[in-house]
Amino acid sequence: MNSNTTSMVSGLLLSLALGWFTQLPAQETQLDVTNRFAVETDEIPDFQKHVVPLFGRLGCNGRACHGSFQGQGGFQLSLFGYDFDADHQALFSEESPRVDLDVVDESLILFKPTDEDEHEGGERFSKEGWEYRLLSQWIAAGAPKAEPLHRLEHLRVEPQQITFAQAGDEVQLSVVAVWEDGTREDVTPLCRFRSNDDQLAAIDENGRVTAGEPGATHVVVFYDKEVQPISVLRPVSEKVGKQYPAVPTPTRVDELVVEQLSQMGIVPSELADDATFLRRVSLDLTGTLPTPQEVEQFLASDLEDKRSRKVEELLESPAYAAWWTTKLCDYTGNNSQQLTNTLPVRGQAEKDWYNWIYKRVDDNTPYDELVSGIVTAKSLSPSQSYEDFSDEMCSIYRGESDKNYSDLPGLTHYWTRRDFRDAESRAINFAYAFMGVRIQCAQCHKHPFDQWSKQDFDEFTKFFGSVVFDQTGRQTHAKEFAVLLGELDLDGEARGNQLRRQFGELMKKGETVPMPVVAVRPGVTTPRPQGRNRNRNRPPQPKSIGILGQEEVAIQGVRDVREPLMNWLKREDNPYFAKAFVNRVWASYFGVGIVEPADDLNLANPPSNARLLDHLEKGFVKSGFDMKWLHREIANSRTYQLDWRTNETNALDKRHFSHAYLKRMPAEVMVDAVATATTNSKGLESLADNWQERTIAAAGTQLQGPLRNRQFSLEVFGRSTRESNCDCDRSDEATLLQTVYLQNDQDVHALLKRPSGWIFEIARQSTASKTTERERQFNQLPKEKKIALLQNRLEQISKTLRRASEKGSETQVKQLRRQQSMLKSRLKQVRMDEERVANQDRRNRNMGPEKSSGELDINQLISEAYLRTLSRFPEVDERTRCQAFFDESETVAEGLEGLVWALINTKEFRLIH
Amino acid sequence: MPRFNRNCDGMLRRDALKVGVLGTGGLSLGQFLKATEANEDNGQPIRSAIFVDLAGGPSHLDTFDPKPNAPREIRGKFASVKTKVAGVEISEHLPKLAKCADKFAIVRGVSHTLAAHRLGSEYINTGNRPLASLEYPGYGAVVTKESEGRNPPTLPPFVSIPSGGQRPGFLGVKYGPLNTNRVPQAGSPFSVRGISMQGGMTLREFENRHKLLKDLDSTFASLEQESQLVEGLDDFNRKAFNMITSAKAREAFDISKETPSFAKPFGDQAFGNSCLLATRLIESGVRFVTLRLGGWDTHQSNFERLAENLLPNLDTGLSALFNGLEQKGLLDSTAVFVSGEFGRTPKINQRGTQPGRDHYPRCMFMLMAGGDVQGGQVVGESDETAAGPKGDGFAPDDVAATFYRNIGIDFTKEYDTDTGRPITIVRDGSVIRQLLG
Repeated sequence: MNSNTTSMVSGLLLSLALGWFTQLPAQETQLDVTNRFAVETDEIPDFQKHVVPLFGRLGCNGRACHGSFQGQGGFQLSLFGYDFDADHQALFSEESPRVDLDVVDESLILFKPTDEDEHEGGERFSKEGWEYRLLSQWIAAGAPKAEPLHRLEHLRVEPQQITFAQAGDEVQLSVVAVWEDGTREDVTPLCRFRSNDDQLAAIDENGRVTAGEPGATHVVVFYDKEVQPISVLRPVSEKVGKQYPAVPTPTRVDELVVEQLSQMGIVPSELADDATFLRRVSLDLTGTLPTPQEVEQFLASDLEDKRSRKVEELLESPAYAAWWTTKLCDYTGNNSQQLTNTLPVRGQAEKDWYNWIYKRVDDNTPYDELVSGIVTAKSLSPSQSYEDFSDEMCSIYRGESDKNYSDLPGLTHYWTRRDFRDAESRAINFAYAFMGVRIQCAQCHKHPFDQWSKQDFDEFTKFFGSVVFDQTGRQTHAKEFAVLLGELDLDGEARGNQLRRQFGELMKKGETVPMPVVAVRPGVTTPRPQGRNRNRNRPPQPKSIGILGQEEVAIQGVRDVREPLMNWLKREDNPYFAKAFVNRVWASYFGVGIVEPADDLNLANPPSNARLLDHLEKGFVKSGFDMKWLHREIANSRTYQLDWRTNETNALDKRHFSHAYLKRMPAEVMVDAVATATTNSKGLESLADNWQERTIAAAGTQLQGPLRNRQFSLEVFGRSTRESNCDCDRSDEATLLQTVYLQNDQDVHALLKRPSGWIFEIARQSTASKTTERERQFNQLPKEKKIALLQNRLEQISKTLRRASEKGSETQVKQLRRQQSMLKSRLKQVRMDEERVANQDRRNRNMGPEKSSGELDINQLISEAYLRTLSRFPEVDERTRCQAFFDESETVAEGLEGLVWALINTKEFRLIH
Repeated sequence: MPRFNRNCDGMLRRDALKVGVLGTGGLSLGQFLKATEANEDNGQPIRSAIFVDLAGGPSHLDTFDPKPNAPREIRGKFASVKTKVAGVEISEHLPKLAKCADKFAIVRGVSHTLAAHRLGSEYINTGNRPLASLEYPGYGAVVTKESEGRNPPTLPPFVSIPSGGQRPGFLGVKYGPLNTNRVPQAGSPFSVRGISMQGGMTLREFENRHKLLKDLDSTFASLEQESQLVEGLDDFNRKAFNMITSAKAREAFDISKETPSFAKPFGDQAFGNSCLLATRLIESGVRFVTLRLGGWDTHQSNFERLAENLLPNLDTGLSALFNGLEQKGLLDSTAVFVSGEFGRTPKINQRGTQPGRDHYPRCMFMLMAGGDVQGGQVVGESDETAAGPKGDGFAPDDVAATFYRNIGIDFTKEYDTDTGRPITIVRDGSVIRQLLG
């Protein structure tokens, strides 16, 4: 065994897996190449195991050098070296052979890198070094290819985790390759190493890790196809081990989070108060502000489990389904522009898309089933004829069917996007949407941070070539199409969009027109060879397709190759499917994923807390892909319910969930929140039912109907553009234009002043300026006079009320009753010591709205303004400041408008905290 | 001197009040603003700057680095033409730029290794090779920070038309741009929504509301030191107030106020009019403007897309920008930098019926103008097939360093990130002396 394997640097806490020594007897592991080739030897190095990795260590196949798209100096290697065939060929290329079998020392791969002048990349090794000996031995043996390729079973890296005590401490990594045939070799000097944050941990080309600043990160080891991250941490405080305080961990999530925090010396924040929790969970889970009444009731409740009850209540609300449908529309790419002209009905496809997903989120359909409906969607059901299908669709779109598009088993529109019709784009979107990985890189070369090669990518695309989107049905159902067409009264010349418009018109009139169809060809469809090879036959049908280097999926006799793909996806041991979803959901609660960016699961980008991610993933699968289970698991954790206020150990933490991170409200939530906070009492009452009028339920990227005028504001706040297979299509950054918008956009002014708004409602109730004038005079009166005046008015109202109810005038009765109750509560307040009003208000948080709302009651208005916007009661000093503002204002309405304006412009409103 | 519309309500009242208080009633508004700026201007002079982002990665061979003698499969379909500067040739589809080639410098043989759009764009927009653990700030954000307190308070110091790749990174959102979100149309009034007083609100009301906001907005006061988000939102509040209560911002954005004879060369396309807006903003006192002309990702139909659309647009817009800045006397005080994220492969690919060129960071061009830049020269050179620089070439870091030097910012200055990590503005660049006269 190599002695550097266990260099136990003093003062370091190495967590070594002790079992490793017993599993791996030293005599079986081959010494590393620096030892073996330090002296003359007859060993013939292996092209795959030694030569290509050496190129990697020396930097030959990097992007800047021979790994570039067009090579360098006439010599091109595959980027980071995973195309062994091509690399071998390149060494023997006719134009510029790099290997000279006759005069070994004249080989360019030996000559160039040892010569500063001849090699643009400078001197890479010396003639005396092991590198030279390794390469020349290989050439002398005839430069054999790696055939067949060896299969790397796995890579054993030691230590698996590094805990540093102080800056400058060092640890040497040791890497052993275990090949399929059982041979083991120390390959430490042949690996590529990378640090994910070299400020925290630096790593050199020999695998020596040096401690930097406190914190946690990973160093990554690359060899052959393997990529392995090793966690490195240095505690940020003395509070580790026995010094770590007792922290409550009521749920498994909390245990796993605190387990990690305790190693890092980070103490989590305190639990957030009820008002903060309610606001946070309502916005995160339903994209909706709690109503004032909801806040009051929640604060007043004494139930011990009121928080988890609230989570349940929110999960049952339509707004939950609406908001999470929007998120799923982001991932799957419900983009209006890309769906233009895919149906004879304009603007319908994106609505169908939204509604189809909504129905399933609302029913809490298991996530795997939901996705299966997208992945394996096709238009015709097994026994259906094209004519019947067209007939059914036409009646659905005319609104004559008892079915909706959402009732159909598959989301066929997913396969009709204009930028989503070739196999490669589909493969990329599929991997992004359902696996949370970016395989784009592998389209041209081996993925630099993961296992996938270009070959893996090409193989993977085979799953996606067999789906045909036939815009008229002409292509896939020629005969039936012709029959249908014959029955229609058409302008014979019309083609393309013109024809589709005619179809649309005829359909509306009750005709059955040929409908666009998503169909699947059996087996694998490969693109017809292009150019010179045009006349060659298509390659024969494969028996199986490889999935991104993971495994082979048998497809013989399978009619729809997407079925086995889907079966693989939802399998319990699938490494991506559940993980991608739980990570995204986590990220939307915390503003940062356990893997971050949330849509970039790759081997070199490990989770900040692997055990936590593992717990959520396994639990989600075990629950039967129950999305609500996942929301509960997260929202009920203490970790999610922590305060944003930090302590001295966790102020800088942004990745380990030791406190709530402030995050800007997402675009839709922000835009809706301004509308909700300013709507009148009727609007608030019907908030739960009018979710469809809110932007959290907007279907496509082009807003329709009454929501159309929200397009601008959504753009300002960065709603997802759903165009580039990236979660970053949605922007969560704060910008100056957003502030300008909230302070002064015509939209915001209009919302404040709208006739269906709260301020208008109050203005009408209080008959504006006169009331305040009266109010001022009233305030100057002595207490007894006030009481007398109010009693007098109350008597008058009682009389009028009697007359009104005799007449049966309902609206008047209602209005008078309200006035009556307002006056009563006013009277009560006057009777009490007035200074105690504010305190009383807070003590009596469960007072119903009727009891305490008052025509003249500025105090009550201030409370309601706070409840509507910040979802809490004002503090005493805040109330005083607001009262002063009302006093300065000419009318109650003006004062209220200014107050609401100010509140929606506070950071507390704009941020989820 | 910018012109001011004296009919506007909010601003004149407010500024007249301020002027009155200062007892400088005799000054015109413009003079007044200049005067206040001059008082605060006590550091090294910092130039204004414009960055033009050619998003998608323009082909260097078919634009500013033609190789008429290269084999057909490399040189492409376009001929090259002589420019006003002897010995310098560019693509035949850039005739207007050829005529004003003395006003800008071409940098050839710039080279890097990031062939993905996002990474390449981050590199070019920051002058630093992107890191996984840290987001570098774009030039505009750095210039905003360095010129803090020296910009007209009524204007945003940094504007992106319509939005851009220069994010504030670790400096925090506070130094981000004002996105116009829309592009101006030729001859039509243009405004950024919300920047002029709306909804019948009076100045006094607006001020009172702001006072109230300031008093109520204190919940996160304890985080001001540690949260860039909190600090940034506070800063935005102040900036928005200043902008909205002044007519200067509205004036600065309204390109319809330009004389027709000045506006005409900018043409009627979005990019040209964005260039017109940029000159107007710089003239009004905006410190940094980014513009974008996208669509250069020509894997297919390279020649068709360049000839029919991209090059005519670029030609009209950029030439009008250089000429317009000079005409207004701003070219000496404004540093201009034009670049995409990479060049494109010398070998034309054979995919599809209309071939194109693929990503190619190893060889690309950039343009520089204004300030100390010596126009009418080519700096650097690519090899015979434009496959790489001849000799060492330049890194984007070098061009970035030169850009900062031209603006008047010390690019070797260090900032601390919020975790206390010291970061140099441009880590690895050195100034290309030949570019600066």
